[in-house]
Amino acid sequence: MVVDPSEFIRFGDWFWEAIVPFLLTIVTLLVGGLVFWFVQLAVRRHPRVAVDIIGRTLHNSIFRDLPSTSLRRILAMARLAIHEALRSRVLVIFAIFVVLLLFGGWFLDVENDHPARLYLTFVLSSTSYLIIALAMFLSAFSLPNDIKNRTIYTITTKPVRSHEIFMGRVIGFAAVGTILLLMMGTISYMFVWRGLDHTHTIDVADLNYDSDRKEWTGRTSFDRHHFHDVIISNETKRGIAMTSKGHQHEITVVGEGTDVQFEVGPPVGDLLARVPVYGELSFLDRYGNQAESGLNVGKSWGYRTYIEGNTLNTAIWKFGDQATSQITSATFPDEKIPLEMDLRVFRTNRGDIESKIRGEVILMSTDPIAKVQESLPINFEATEFATLRMDIPFSDVKYLDPISAKPISVDVFNDLIVNGELKVGIRCKEHAQFFGMARADLYLRGPDQSFIINFAKSYVGIWMQMLLVTLFGVLFSTFLNGIISLKATLAIIVLGTFAGFITAIQTDDVSTGGGPIEALVRGVTQQGAETELNVSDGARDVIEALDGAYLWTMNVVSQIAPRYPEFNTADKVAYGYDISMDLLLRHLTVTLGYFMVISIIGTLILRSREVAA
Amino acid sequence: MSSTQTAPSPEQKYKSKSDVVIETRNLTKTYKDFWGRSKVHALKALDLDVKKGEIFGLLGPNGSGKSTTIKLLLGLLFPTGGEALVFGSDASDVSKNERIGYLPEESYLYKFLNAEETLDFYGRLFNMSATKRRKRIKELIKMIDLDWAKKRQLKEYSKGMTRRIGLAQALINDPELILLDEPTTGLDPIGTREMKDLILRLRDQGKTVLMCSHLLADVQDVCDRIAILYQGELKELGRVDNLLSVQDVTQIQAKGLSDEAKEEIQEVIQRHSGEMISMENPTSTLEELFLNIVRESEERPGHRHIEEE
Repeated sequence: MVVDPSEFIRFGDWFWEAIVPFLLTIVTLLVGGLVFWFVQLAVRRHPRVAVDIIGRTLHNSIFRDLPSTSLRRILAMARLAIHEALRSRVLVIFAIFVVLLLFGGWFLDVENDHPARLYLTFVLSSTSYLIIALAMFLSAFSLPNDIKNRTIYTITTKPVRSHEIFMGRVIGFAAVGTILLLMMGTISYMFVWRGLDHTHTIDVADLNYDSDRKEWTGRTSFDRHHFHDVIISNETKRGIAMTSKGHQHEITVVGEGTDVQFEVGPPVGDLLARVPVYGELSFLDRYGNQAESGLNVGKSWGYRTYIEGNTLNTAIWKFGDQATSQITSATFPDEKIPLEMDLRVFRTNRGDIESKIRGEVILMSTDPIAKVQESLPINFEATEFATLRMDIPFSDVKYLDPISAKPISVDVFNDLIVNGELKVGIRCKEHAQFFGMARADLYLRGPDQSFIINFAKSYVGIWMQMLLVTLFGVLFSTFLNGIISLKATLAIIVLGTFAGFITAIQTDDVSTGGGPIEALVRGVTQQGAETELNVSDGARDVIEALDGAYLWTMNVVSQIAPRYPEFNTADKVAYGYDISMDLLLRHLTVTLGYFMVISIIGTLILRSREVAA
Repeated sequence: MSSTQTAPSPEQKYKSKSDVVIETRNLTKTYKDFWGRSKVHALKALDLDVKKGEIFGLLGPNGSGKSTTIKLLLGLLFPTGGEALVFGSDASDVSKNERIGYLPEESYLYKFLNAEETLDFYGRLFNMSATKRRKRIKELIKMIDLDWAKKRQLKEYSKGMTRRIGLAQALINDPELILLDEPTTGLDPIGTREMKDLILRLRDQGKTVLMCSHLLADVQDVCDRIAILYQGELKELGRVDNLLSVQDVTQIQAKGLSDEAKEEIQEVIQRHSGEMISMENPTSTLEELFLNIVRESEERPGHRHIEEE
């Protein structure tokens, strides 16, 4: 799973880094807005009148309207918005969702290796799309309809303040969306749970019994497009159906002798909320010297870099004291280092794609004068696209004694972990093969969190997206008509979604073909995107100036727009990773920031607007 | 408005100012196009005072600026020039709305709410407590005689019923000033009579009413003072009875006179001991006055000299 680098920053650090640009943006927006307002009024009326009106509006808004805020009025406006939403047959959206779920199951890939991922991605995506579409339509048309039908006359002639109208609308639509999300979330969870819940049968005649080891081996029945290999102990009367389709089953032995029967439990491990504790990644090159990064094997996507097999090329993750506290004996009484990795494999020779590539883990100390600098390698085998869980028992961690030249056990807490810090190195052992990794591909695995809570957190992410869309919809509807307001809201979603790409175009990272004007000229004159534009110098200057202005505007707007994809945590839930509180808090803070700024702008626009014009 | 009144003493001025509920000074509204060019002069330099406890009528043909004036007073429109004060505050001050009730030209209400929900919603906007709202809703529904239909959605209401619920929402806060835009539109003769009686009752309760209408009979029946607007300009202002009296004609009504006495009535009416019933200027109808002003304004556009007693 791809993890955005910003996720490694803790909430507190992020907050203090983000607050200054946030405040600067607000000041810029407010000053820009006031200047625009002043110019507009000064041109239409007179500069003195403009100062008078703006001054009076700001003074009244801050010193009269704000202190007179009434929760009852805001809730009355919110209730009206709910009434209005229900009248617009909002429940149709819910009905569509239920129908999607009912029939969606038919079209899902039944033989997928990870059905849980498929189900979760399906329900979370469909919920997200439907609720965002709903928020867009409800919010963009509401105020314009009030103005068109003139029902706004009977509201603004009551002692309702502009911010109460704005917030009432937002809260009302958000309430409708919240209720729908709760219903959708409950139904989604039931759909996933019902879709994944199954069991198998085991016939004793199909199993082999090893009387020396006193255990049965064999297979379960073939149900839901899969079976499991099983190992069942006759001593403990328990067994396990090994991982298949992303889950296992526990097996219990019932009865004795010829009456022996096996009871297979429900699936385990497909609905997880793993807690990854990330370290910092650094590299040693093939000669063992410090390197800035791993190797580039020619893939254009630079998320992962690679280490070469059978060399000293090493990827090293350094875990700080907060990370290593996850492996204290109190948390892991069975004294294991809970390592999990998701390495990529890049092969330079022909062979079986399914075959495993050998690698080794080396535990290292961060203290250069520590008695044990690094452990002896601990072997593992990696397969492409499979997460490898390595619980390394403390007893397996050994180092080579320099005097006796024999392996000696290491006291992990005293010899290796210094000041709470530990380093974990990965090497590839096979010549001409490579391991690919990013910072998030190896982590210490903390105690799992509740899946249901994680699922709910993902819905909080969708809820925040819905709130942001609603905010922009209501904001645009304060000065645009319904259709235009809908298009503007959609534009903000698109710009927010592709903000990174737009910035890359503007900063020349994606430079082929130029901007829209250059692309148009190239299209009309049939010039390829890779060649130099064949026009006169003057024309080129004009084209570049127009493209530059256009891209700059797009970039500014996309920087202001919320980064919707960051709120989408469906992947984390689908891949079984816990959505950290740091991430959730950050998203909530961003949403709150937008709520405040957009409410202020929307209020001022509404206050300065002639509703009867 | 020009006035022939003598300058009041400071005390009188203070007293009269406190009596003024609505005051417009040079109030002007010009609609502009996208480029800021003047398109329509909806209201031209209107000077007007509406005093506490009176029923004031704004009269004029369509497009004369009546509704624009009301919208400017309510802050639904912003003036291009001049100022509009309500209870001494600028029209853009929302807090003035606590003391105002407004019945728009058509009842712009939410059709998906029923009568009770509608009044409850507007009551909440006045921050009224639940108990107060319930009591007031009951009173108003009884007053407009819609008890039998209070649970029906407004989309099922006839125009007259919608008008009545519109009036009820305007009165939900027991306002001191009520602005009525074409209050009798859509009402049948009985409904019209009831509306006019209600307006008079409101005045008797000490409330101030500003209404605009083009139905002359309605205005004549209820208004204490009127202003006649034409093409955005104030053309006439004064008490209805004064405006409608024909100053250069004297009308004498008498009975019990002999035929001889009738012949010499101008000189000898008292000498012949006739009983004087009345002696006054005959009155015109408002319709006649209105049409005269319109005709005169078309012949001689521009400001018209107004004298108000």
